[in-house]
Amino acid sequence: MRAREPAWEGYVDNDGVPIYYEVHGAGEPTLMLIPAAPITHSRMWKALIPDLARRYRVITIDGRGSGRSGRPTDAESHSRAANVADIISVLDATDTDRAVLVAHCHANWWAVEAIAANPGRVCAFVAIDPGIPYLGKPQPHWVETGPHWGEIIENPSGWQLNNRHAITTQHRRWVEFFFNEQLVEPHSTKHYEDAVSWALESTGEILAAGDDGFEIDFPDRETVEAVCRDLGVPTLVVHGDLDVCQHVDRGKAFAEITGGELVVIGGAGHLALAREPVKVNRAITKFVDRIEGTAMRQHTWTRGLSRRKRILYVSSPIGLGHARRDVAIAKELKKLRPDLEIDWLAQDPVTRLLEAEGETIHPASEWLASESAHIASEATGHDLHCFQALRRMDEILVANFMIFQEVMEEGMYDLSLGDEAWEVDHFWHENPELKRGDHVWMTDFVGFLPMPSGGDHEEYLTADYNAEMIEHIARYPRIRDLALFVGSPDDIVPEVFGPGLPKIRDWTEEHFQFTGYITGFEPPSDDEMASWRSQLGYGEDEKVCVVTVGGSGVGRDLLEKVIAAYPLAKQSMPELRMVVVAGPRIDPAGLPAHDGLEYHGYVHRLYQHLAACDLAIVQGGLTTTMELAAARTPFLYFPLRNHFEQNYHVRHRLDRYRAGRYMDYAVTNPEAIAAEIIARAGAPVDYLAVETDGAAKAAAMIAGLI
Amino acid sequence: MRARYPDRAGTVSREGVRLGYEVFGEGDRTLLLLPTWTIIHSRFWKLQIPYLARHFRVVTYDGPGNGRSARAVDPEIYSLEAQASYVTDVMDVTNTTEAVLVSLSMGSMWSLSVAAENPDRVIGQVFIGPSLPITPPSPTRADSSASFWAQRDDPQGWEKYNAHYWLNNHEDFAEFFFTMCFPEAHSTKQREDCVGWAMETTPEVLVAKARVDDVSHETVLDWCSRITSPVLVIHGDDDRISPLSRARRLADATGGSLVTVKGGGHIPLARDPVIVNLLIKEFADRLAGPAKTPA
Repeated sequence: MRAREPAWEGYVDNDGVPIYYEVHGAGEPTLMLIPAAPITHSRMWKALIPDLARRYRVITIDGRGSGRSGRPTDAESHSRAANVADIISVLDATDTDRAVLVAHCHANWWAVEAIAANPGRVCAFVAIDPGIPYLGKPQPHWVETGPHWGEIIENPSGWQLNNRHAITTQHRRWVEFFFNEQLVEPHSTKHYEDAVSWALESTGEILAAGDDGFEIDFPDRETVEAVCRDLGVPTLVVHGDLDVCQHVDRGKAFAEITGGELVVIGGAGHLALAREPVKVNRAITKFVDRIEGTAMRQHTWTRGLSRRKRILYVSSPIGLGHARRDVAIAKELKKLRPDLEIDWLAQDPVTRLLEAEGETIHPASEWLASESAHIASEATGHDLHCFQALRRMDEILVANFMIFQEVMEEGMYDLSLGDEAWEVDHFWHENPELKRGDHVWMTDFVGFLPMPSGGDHEEYLTADYNAEMIEHIARYPRIRDLALFVGSPDDIVPEVFGPGLPKIRDWTEEHFQFTGYITGFEPPSDDEMASWRSQLGYGEDEKVCVVTVGGSGVGRDLLEKVIAAYPLAKQSMPELRMVVVAGPRIDPAGLPAHDGLEYHGYVHRLYQHLAACDLAIVQGGLTTTMELAAARTPFLYFPLRNHFEQNYHVRHRLDRYRAGRYMDYAVTNPEAIAAEIIARAGAPVDYLAVETDGAAKAAAMIAGLI
Repeated sequence: MRARYPDRAGTVSREGVRLGYEVFGEGDRTLLLLPTWTIIHSRFWKLQIPYLARHFRVVTYDGPGNGRSARAVDPEIYSLEAQASYVTDVMDVTNTTEAVLVSLSMGSMWSLSVAAENPDRVIGQVFIGPSLPITPPSPTRADSSASFWAQRDDPQGWEKYNAHYWLNNHEDFAEFFFTMCFPEAHSTKQREDCVGWAMETTPEVLVAKARVDDVSHETVLDWCSRITSPVLVIHGDDDRISPLSRARRLADATGGSLVTVKGGGHIPLARDPVIVNLLIKEFADRLAGPAKTPA
């Protein structure tokens, strides 16, 4: 799912070639983002659009030959003149009188010509990794391979692939080689996959035509230098100093000749706009705000000693479970520090619980891109590949980090408390100078683990993500002032982070404090349980089986399978009653009807049903299963397929508590479910007791910081 | 010892009144830090100068009656017209064709009038704790100014804002006044500094200054309506000399930005120098547009 959808979109037709554009946001001024077509398209800007569009109006364009634009194959159609005309046509089509152009790589030369030919139309220019002819020294591999462009090379390799014939006939090879060379930064697997996949939406023939088109009417040095010198708009150059496509000297030369500002990103390659989105976002907004003279207006700065102690609590919205434990921790914290103010940066459905609890939700919460909608969009059937879903959530994480950072800077919070707030932890390690206040990181699992279906590649990817996290902590121990593991050392899986990496348990024991499990509620007493059971109308002589799949909309397949088991179980257990809680996103209409089977979209106080019933059937999420463990309810759990956390981390923990019966959805048929219902409904359990002091322990540790 | 000494210092005279000025640093952009009520002199900018002078050319001067300027007792010397002339005189003698004017409290009046009358010489203004008669003063202050010339027995509080009291109890008045200026806890050094500078002038100077007619509400709003360059106002919400409402009104009338210092009194430049320094720099940078040299 994208972090932000356009407000509107359209096409312009230039000599029969449709050019696709999108318009986001409505602020001032307008920024137009121009990608280096045809090797990539507007999705290259995905990490910048949400932040920029919150402040400005943002237009993106897919250059000819890529994205959703037309695919001309002749060089003439890829001339500079044609690309410049596309820029102006889209400005016209979007009624844009005045824009800031933001371009990448060779598209900067199109932007320069568009600015020069349309005085007054462009008010400022951001040139990212600019490649302007003659300015600065080109990388030697371009110089060496250029003269052989038109030849046919036997078995080309490496930079020799920069050749019309090779690109046309071995497109994928060239694209993979090229982006592998460009992503000099370690841990760039996702950026590499993205860049390659966007490039492969076009063809080698078109890519070669693009290169040929660039040479048409090639200007002489005097012309280029004169145009740049007389550009007449404020210019910002952003350039990675390890750029293998456009040498950083080229950016420096362009800044020099235009009198522009230069921001060099040390250690960054050619795709800093994707790889260092926080820095690039901030450089652009700082520049644009300065040009426009916006910002400030009304502002309050509170003297240090006049401030109340304030925490910003960031609660992950994936599953409601975190919210309950987070509220419990917040309540314990307020007991210890009665003068403490806690604001929540959170999104639906967490905000529903927070509102019900009377907590203060920061107004910026409404800007957050939806993580739960993304996760729901990633699920199919009883399958959620949560590691890949998290990787594909990259643009949402950047968008939400930018909001978090702004809130921290404005709100002068003493501490941020992130319960699996991946964006905060990750991007503060990536941009350590941005850290504000103390930071508490909290999680209930450590380590991405590969699922067998992902094969060797997923083993490589999870190890790479784990390695990056380990390097983050090693390099910047000052980012996490406190790291809390919600659980005990025995809850940690007996695995390693990957080949050559530490054992997860050893490393976690060294880097975390342990709170014990936090349910967020007091487990019911026997008397309470009995009274709930009678209040809920569950009879003494009934065997009540509650089936629930949570609120995310993932789970219809499991419901159907369990419902199919109901008539089979009912035959041997006539006292069986099944209560199906389908959640707000699953319509029970269309599910079969049976005597003794009832459907609910939502039940108030689901935990009472789960505690009072004779058997629960659930997915493998940690919160619900541990609630059942705490209430000592017999239960069957079906981890979502390909969900490493449910299949490894949660299962390991439940085994330790001797709680629940693991079921494999893929191999379990309704008959097997019916047999389990008959065997386990109302049967005694020997679960380990679940801790009840976790929230207080966590609060005491956090209070030590504030 | 000062944290930074001027690169150049001199005096300028107008009708026999000598004023001392100082120039720090160099650069295309000049910040002119104006004097305020003559009860203190240009040393009150001591926490701004070293930082700002690293980024801009900074000019300061002492208004008549304190610091290195003459202790004149002719009220004409303190008139609005004269004070506005000193601003342009100092700009002329330091070869400053245009400047950002930065003022505290009463200096806001001179800044506004110069900017309204000489728009080509002022590219922006920063007002800190501006004291302008555009909203009513607090009731206690209004009462005391009504009886400024009256002789009182045993005046208390704002009753000390009184010509006779000044002449006989100069230091006690200064103690009182700067206690009002710094409501922030732990402000001993700031009060000591200001009282010390107050002791460098004489009560006769303060009384002479008090004979100058106040500028009218309408005049100030007329100036505001003529301001076209950017404005930044910085004001404490616990300012007991000039209420926050004045800063709001000034920002509204000039289309300027307002930064409220929550918990701050009348002189945040002394009590919260870091945020004030950063705000002035950010404002002046913004006026400059993008830097012309690679950063």
